Amino acid sequence: MKRFKNILRKCPYIVVLLITWLFMTIGGVALIFYRDYYSFEWDSFFSEPFFAAVMEDEIDGMAHGESEKPRIAKAVMANLGSVSYAGSESGSVNSGKTAADTEISENTSNNKITDVTEESLKNNEITSVIPDIVPKKIRYRLNFIRRFAAAKSSWEGMMTEPAEAADEGEGKPGQTLFTEYEPVETDSIYYSDAGKVALTTDYPYVTVGEDYFDDAVFFGDSRTLGISDYSGLNADFFCENGMTIYKLLDEKGVVYRKTGEKADLNRVLQEKKYGKIYIMLGMNELGYGNTAQYLEQYSKVLAQLRLWQPDSIIYVMSNLHVSRSKDDPTTEFNNININDKNAASATLANGTDVIYLDINPLFTDNDGYLKDELTFDGVHLYADGYMKWKEFLMEHGVVR
Amino acid sequence: MLFSGIVFLFRFLPVFMLIYLLVPERFRNLVLLLGSLVFYGAGEPYYVLLLIFSILVNYGLGRLILNDKSIKNKKAVLCLALFWDFGQLFVFKYWDFAAENINKLISGGFIPGQAAAEGPLPVWSLTLPLGISFYTFQTVSFIIDCYRGKIKAAPSLTEFAVYISMFPQLIAGPIVKYDEVADRLRARRITAGAAENGLKLFSIGLGFKVLLANQIGTLWNTIMTAGAGNLSVTVAWLGAFAYSLQIYFDFWGYSLMAVGLGEMLGFRLPKNFYNPYAAKSVSEFWRRWHITLGRWFKEYLYIPLGGNRKGFWRTALNLLIVWTLTGLWHGADWNFALWGLSFFVIISIEKSGIGKWLEKSRVIGHLYVIAIIPVTWIIFAVNNIDRLILYLQNMFGIHMTGAIVGNEHFIRYIKEYWVLFIFCFLFSTPYPMRFYRAYKNKWYIILIIAAVFWFSVYEIMIGSNNPFLYFRF
Repeated sequence: MKRFKNILRKCPYIVVLLITWLFMTIGGVALIFYRDYYSFEWDSFFSEPFFAAVMEDEIDGMAHGESEKPRIAKAVMANLGSVSYAGSESGSVNSGKTAADTEISENTSNNKITDVTEESLKNNEITSVIPDIVPKKIRYRLNFIRRFAAAKSSWEGMMTEPAEAADEGEGKPGQTLFTEYEPVETDSIYYSDAGKVALTTDYPYVTVGEDYFDDAVFFGDSRTLGISDYSGLNADFFCENGMTIYKLLDEKGVVYRKTGEKADLNRVLQEKKYGKIYIMLGMNELGYGNTAQYLEQYSKVLAQLRLWQPDSIIYVMSNLHVSRSKDDPTTEFNNININDKNAASATLANGTDVIYLDINPLFTDNDGYLKDELTFDGVHLYADGYMKWKEFLMEHGVVR
Repeated sequence: MLFSGIVFLFRFLPVFMLIYLLVPERFRNLVLLLGSLVFYGAGEPYYVLLLIFSILVNYGLGRLILNDKSIKNKKAVLCLALFWDFGQLFVFKYWDFAAENINKLISGGFIPGQAAAEGPLPVWSLTLPLGISFYTFQTVSFIIDCYRGKIKAAPSLTEFAVYISMFPQLIAGPIVKYDEVADRLRARRITAGAAENGLKLFSIGLGFKVLLANQIGTLWNTIMTAGAGNLSVTVAWLGAFAYSLQIYFDFWGYSLMAVGLGEMLGFRLPKNFYNPYAAKSVSEFWRRWHITLGRWFKEYLYIPLGGNRKGFWRTALNLLIVWTLTGLWHGADWNFALWGLSFFVIISIEKSGIGKWLEKSRVIGHLYVIAIIPVTWIIFAVNNIDRLILYLQNMFGIHMTGAIVGNEHFIRYIKEYWVLFIFCFLFSTPYPMRFYRAYKNKWYIILIIAAVFWFSVYEIMIGSNNPFLYFRF
């Protein structure tokens, strides 16, 4: 005791740090047991000490049941990609279907893999075989694990087959056209090489003025943020860094640029009518779920948008490729993956009220890389690039 | 391993310190050496061999110089050692730059409108070994000090290896001279007070790095992403200030961490920064910025060249050489040479007497430094010459294209970053550290630093933007 007092007197700061470390570690261990134990990985223990759990709490916004929808712990996400909406048999997604064909109600989507439906998870109703004695939180977690395992097996099945098969219904008017090329072998759970590049939907576009965008809305990630910041368009922008197609329609899912606050699109889109909807999402999904899941979620989102905005023209914009230095085939961050996502989302265009726009030819070189002189970080355009982009959008007005 | 990484903070450092404190005193150098090699090897598994080899070569040659009585032999060995040290630095750091430019020169790529053909020299694209610029300068200073007779007694191999590779200063300085640490290398006591002080300094440095440099760096990044050619005068200057503050807190933070770690281990490492932005002339700025580098160039290059004792033209030439090389030391690219040259010009002008006058002034000197240093940092930061010219044009209102990122954006950035700017400005003055030194044992200071530490750790855990700017030099 005397000795401890002596140490405390001589180096109080070290003692304070050690004690806070100890307490946070205890807190972290407790939290891992309380909610995260299923996903705790000893592999990452070296770089993520126990107390990381206390801090990640904040990151995922899932502390104390704040989030109503299940989110996945970071470690698991990194290993498996996304299961945010992986409740259905993603492996058999019919990518040829258009938005209009898609089942709109989430209640009826095929949840054959697991008995826990999307809806029930949303409302935190536990409809499973786990007895009630188990505390609600833990039951909820256990269900999550089961759902997870199912989703994982469905991916593994998919790794062998190409992510999508959009050839059916070829030649129909309004169908997206592709130019094909020889695909390369890929070894990733996130994507495969589509072997084709989607072209801008064939349509008698007219050139329009900036007032065309007065009743337009843009959804997107950091690139759309660039349009919002630098193009000077007077449209509504719902976009933020790191936005994904999976998060877009969440309650408080996306930032409304005019207010700078999170907006609930469920409300916004039912209250305000838009003439045009521009959507570009896919970059932050590159390592988050695979292409089939991306497509499935994309079609769900489009169907939902169509339900709320029956008269609007929906523009599906291609994701901009990255520069040669950013393109990394050893990770999932590369142009093959981006093209895979683009080719998938392009199949949702119908040539009448859903239009696919390929903006890549504006900014890429012959090999499809974003030109170095147009970008600082290899991912985002310089501000003047967005002016060119705006002009492109103005050349593709749809007037009915 | 980064000082500002979780693995270093919570894995390497506690384990290492525990072993270091528990082993008997005579094994401490060995433990420190092994720990440093682990630290380096974790980031550079192959180049650690180069480091070891370089240590052995320099130790051997240093001993030869010390033991040899004949001046002629000493000189020969000195040349050999310098050839080895600067040779490896040249191969890893400057070969590609030299080869590309020689190729261009031969094939006529410098003539406008003529496409460059393939040149005869190969480009190797070697990765730069971490910290090579720093440890090479340290080995060179050791060799030259041996030659000059400043080092009387030869260190043991372990002592020398610890001197070069000691992990607090291995990767990004300070560039320590051997006689500064010679006593402590032989014997050192580790007191509770020193460990406490060292950890406090380390935490403050971590806070500077993570809470100031990284955060203000986001603004610089946003502005650069928008493109150098699209900025209004206001935004261009805002970006220049943001980068100036980022690089200062980044490097000063790192140096504080190094000094703090050194103190925890029982060493006294030299100070690298002494309130540079509070200087009143650029010459004074350089006496306060990266002090150990400036000292190195002065002692081992400027003075041997003759310094200012050989007449006006010779002094100018010496300054030109020193500043060009200082620029190129920071990186093998034209903008770094240009950056060094800009200091040559500014400091030459100051030497005419303006500098003295500025240093005596009360306000004008400060305004002058605050205005001119950000411009030099822009030359440092933008390493594409075309974009650099665009940026400088925009800073001075010579717009070639319209400024898409204009006042509307400027106001938005200010709204978002004004608190951070105030903090950065405050910590650029000498007062906060003076306050800290006066009250560092008070309980509230201890709590504030602990809060800074954990807040930094939190930022590290959630953020991915955490590079050290001074690492690849």
